[in-house]
Amino acid sequence: METRLLMTLRVIVARPLEIGAVPHGARRTAPLSGGAFEGPRLRGRVLPGGSADWQLLRPDGVLEMDLRVTLQTDDGALISMRSFGLRHGPPEVIAAISRGETVDPATYYFRTTPRFETAHPAYAFLNRMVTVASGDRRPEGPIYTVHEVL
Amino acid sequence: MNSRPLMRLRLDTSATEEIGTTSAGTLSIFPIVGGSFEGDRLRGRVLGGGDWVTIRPDGTFELDARVTLETDDGALIHTTFTGVRDDGNHYFRTLPRFETAAPKYGFLNRMLAVGVGEITPEGPIHAIEEIL
Repeated sequence: METRLLMTLRVIVARPLEIGAVPHGARRTAPLSGGAFEGPRLRGRVLPGGSADWQLLRPDGVLEMDLRVTLQTDDGALISMRSFGLRHGPPEVIAAISRGETVDPATYYFRTTPRFETAHPAYAFLNRMVTVASGDRRPEGPIYTVHEVL
Repeated sequence: MNSRPLMRLRLDTSATEEIGTTSAGTLSIFPIVGGSFEGDRLRGRVLGGGDWVTIRPDGTFELDARVTLETDDGALIHTTFTGVRDDGNHYFRTLPRFETAAPKYGFLNRMLAVGVGEITPEGPIHAIEEIL
């Protein structure tokens, strides 16, 4: 698989809402209060309204993440990003993350698959690509390193 | 990013159901009637499913497929994938996901994957890699 760096996206997570035990697992929503992205072809900020990560902690210990973010480029284009991901790791590593500690991302699996929609012609290339991202869960929120799948 | 080959998946399709253009786009349904898959960790046959393909105004295809795989040792794997096919740019990439209750194949439940697709006269072939 050949990839090319698209951008680094850092998001700031506000206080999560613990919805609790639902039929498929434990549901949690993590609203985003901000963030920024930067890459060779685009850069800008995260718009907090309508940006959140809808999470489900499965009975097998895997966290499913359904992230939706509105991005605004520095030249004013709006981009809707939607990304499904999985996160899992050794219990002590996951516990450290939950405590708000900075943990080496190589010790857990945090991978997502962002897709994009935009009406802005300069960024239309985003509509046609498949991407994969590696996540690094910092205390203030994840940093996603997003790669275009060539 | 690092990846590891998972399988080559070949899908046999039957006559396309052309739904046509609705407000959601132009939809074609490709029934999947067979096929096979092979890799270091698993191999077997495709039982069936379908691919709901929407042609977007920019001429690219958005894929939405579901298939059931059966391994040679009898495990069933529910497989879904979304993706993009852009024939103008020779780009056919999918994002497969797997669900299985078979303990031997439980690793499929915990991974994300990428498929590189190729159109052949016999139907699509996907080279699927696990994202490490």
